[in-house]
Amino acid sequence: MNWADLNLMPALPELFMSVAILVILMLDAFISDAKRGLHYGLALLTLAGCAVLQVQTYSAVPVHTFSGMFVSDALSSLVKLAMYGSTAMVLVYSRQYIADRGLLRGEFFSLALFALLGMNIMVSASHFLSLYMGLELLSLSLYSLIALQRDEVKATEAAMKYFVLGALASGLLLYGISMIYGATGTLDLALVAKAIKLHTANDMLLVFGLVFIVAGLCFKLGTVPFHMWVPDVYQGSATAVTLMVGAAPKLAAFVFVLRILVQGMEAMVADWQAMLALVAVLSMAIGNITAIAQTNIKRMLAYSTISHMGFLLLGLLAGTPDGYAAALFYSLIYVLMSMVSFGILLGLSRAGFECETLDDLKGLNSRNSWYALLMLLTMFSMAGVPPLAGFYAKFAVIKAIVDIHLYWLAIIAVMMSLIGAFYYLRVVKNIYFDEAQDTSAIVMRADMKLVLSINAVALLVLGMLPERVIELCIQAMKQSLTVI
Amino acid sequence: MSMTTVIFYILSAILLFAAIRVVTAKNPVHAVLYLVLAFFTSSGHWLLLQSEFLAITLVLVYVGAVMVLFLFVVMMLDINVEKLREGFWRNLPVAATVGLIMAFEMVLILTNPHTGLADYKAGAALAADASNVKVLGRQLYTTYLLPFELAAVVLLVAMVAAIGLTQRSRKDTKVVDAADQVKVRSQDRVRIVKMQAEKNVEAADTAESGEQQA
Amino acid sequence: MLTLTHFLVLAAILFAISVLGIFLNRKNLIVLLMAIELMLLAVNFNFIAFSHYLSDTAGQIFVFFILTVAAAESAIGLAILVVLFRNMRTINVEDLGSLKG
Repeated sequence: MNWADLNLMPALPELFMSVAILVILMLDAFISDAKRGLHYGLALLTLAGCAVLQVQTYSAVPVHTFSGMFVSDALSSLVKLAMYGSTAMVLVYSRQYIADRGLLRGEFFSLALFALLGMNIMVSASHFLSLYMGLELLSLSLYSLIALQRDEVKATEAAMKYFVLGALASGLLLYGISMIYGATGTLDLALVAKAIKLHTANDMLLVFGLVFIVAGLCFKLGTVPFHMWVPDVYQGSATAVTLMVGAAPKLAAFVFVLRILVQGMEAMVADWQAMLALVAVLSMAIGNITAIAQTNIKRMLAYSTISHMGFLLLGLLAGTPDGYAAALFYSLIYVLMSMVSFGILLGLSRAGFECETLDDLKGLNSRNSWYALLMLLTMFSMAGVPPLAGFYAKFAVIKAIVDIHLYWLAIIAVMMSLIGAFYYLRVVKNIYFDEAQDTSAIVMRADMKLVLSINAVALLVLGMLPERVIELCIQAMKQSLTVI
Repeated sequence: MSMTTVIFYILSAILLFAAIRVVTAKNPVHAVLYLVLAFFTSSGHWLLLQSEFLAITLVLVYVGAVMVLFLFVVMMLDINVEKLREGFWRNLPVAATVGLIMAFEMVLILTNPHTGLADYKAGAALAADASNVKVLGRQLYTTYLLPFELAAVVLLVAMVAAIGLTQRSRKDTKVVDAADQVKVRSQDRVRIVKMQAEKNVEAADTAESGEQQA
Repeated sequence: MLTLTHFLVLAAILFAISVLGIFLNRKNLIVLLMAIELMLLAVNFNFIAFSHYLSDTAGQIFVFFILTVAAAESAIGLAILVVLFRNMRTINVEDLGSLKG
């Protein structure tokens, strides 16, 4: 590689973000605790700047740079824009919450942005090494974000569990990658794909490695049988951090899986399809059934996440471009839904009070009917009630597996979404038909109220007019997957 | 058997022994020391595979820094060893079975002639003056520039996290900042209150009686 | 004559020992962290062995990065462990019971 050949343009948003993080870190040393709001503003400004650069540097064909380790294509640009948006929304939702809990520190914002940088790298990686570095950057930032609430026993406990299981998952993933490297002699995803397609790779080692890779990926996505960390981490973390773990990283993890399994190993689709089908069925079943028994709403949403990840895998395992686009659409909608549900929990919490049990939501309608309506929209969307976006997302992934004639899987998926509807409706019942136990007024910052409303109404709008977004997903998949 | 094969088997025996002791040692300090032995022995293996740079890095970075960090934490925390060992013997049968089956299966796959590992032949021996460090260094700073920069960011995250998590500004210390003392001005310490020099006696009396009534 | 199989089998056994360690020391967090270090060592063995027998340096480079990340990871892991210990005076996994359901 020649220095003159180094094209930094495709990675401009990432470079800008890194510099901004350093500025925030440096500022932290010089300003007093009372002025920490400045960090909040700077972080939002950084995200806006990244989004602008992302749009500016977009090119119609995929551009590789850094010796083919980094790629900027339609898929990565779309997902990155969604991640900037979701991170900005998380920050808006958690502004008051973190201030009440002493988390409004420079570290909170710099670690959140470091996590985002890691996600960006994961989404844009075209080499196993950059995939791994991005993943670790994300994971390490998330472990520390959770533990940042260091006087809270539950939070440190959750961080430790997440850390041990996450490190274990990385170990499994790396063992798999080492086998793929041995079998194909390369770590570049495009070359791996080529070697597998041309049968120049050692088949036995490939399958051996694939087992470990799928296990590691399931851990990171939080699907059965490696889902144990999800409920504990969701419940133990401060709700603002839960949202940070549960929203944008799911998008990044999805693209991560897509890059490895589809871009790197599509020729082995028959092998991973069977594994993912089993994982998807178990995730939908265990996630939905265990969620019914939960009284803690954060824990319930964690199990619901596990089942949503099962649905997402349905689109992926279809192995068709339409299926991948459906899975991408599903993950985008899932992020929107989880943002509203946790956003409401953040809004209902106040200094000294955590809104986290189902009882805390009782009679929300009598306290504030607008928030009750927003929560109703989200719960219906998660349950897959038409005409909300969640319905269309479920419909798209199930259609993708019907298209490849896996009818039994489609039937199981429909049954599971019916079971799931039960506990979502229970939340709605709590909100509308139960007596409020806590009648204190709900105070929300005006900007949060606005963003939260837009977020929830988007679910309705996207449910009625999904064509534009799904078309965007299909275009992104087409553009990004045809190059190999 | 050639010389290198003999060395390989000796090193492997030590490595596996050390690894088993790491996970079974009673005292966490012993476990760390066995882990040091395991890393040291592995570095010997890596020399057999002609990756001198990594062999040395393993000793310098891992044994020198990371393991010392482990030792430091083990010794700093006041750990009740007996309590931690409670489930050990109960877990042993299951764990040993799982471990053995896993090792057996993996070895079976890898030693199976169908796996085709025999097709992999070691490259020609390197020239005596071939520099492993030079080759890796050149690639690190050119082809692998992106991961190299990311590694720096990962280390920065580790630093921010470690400081953010463990550093505490203690509030109970009575350390005096000399600079602050020198800077002190009289306005900061003494407040001059303006008040009437003479007091109206009657008003004071009624105020007192008022207080008594209350 | 040393072959690739020698090294891969050694790494596989090492990997199995680390899994054994994770099962065995489910209560002892610090040994759990050490078992994970062993697992990474097994992975590194694989990469270096393949790198040697493929005459390709990419594997060695990957190991370089795994070592770096693992160092950062253990720093964060031990920091979390210290914070946890301060809160609970224990590193016994069984005492971590506030999250259940």
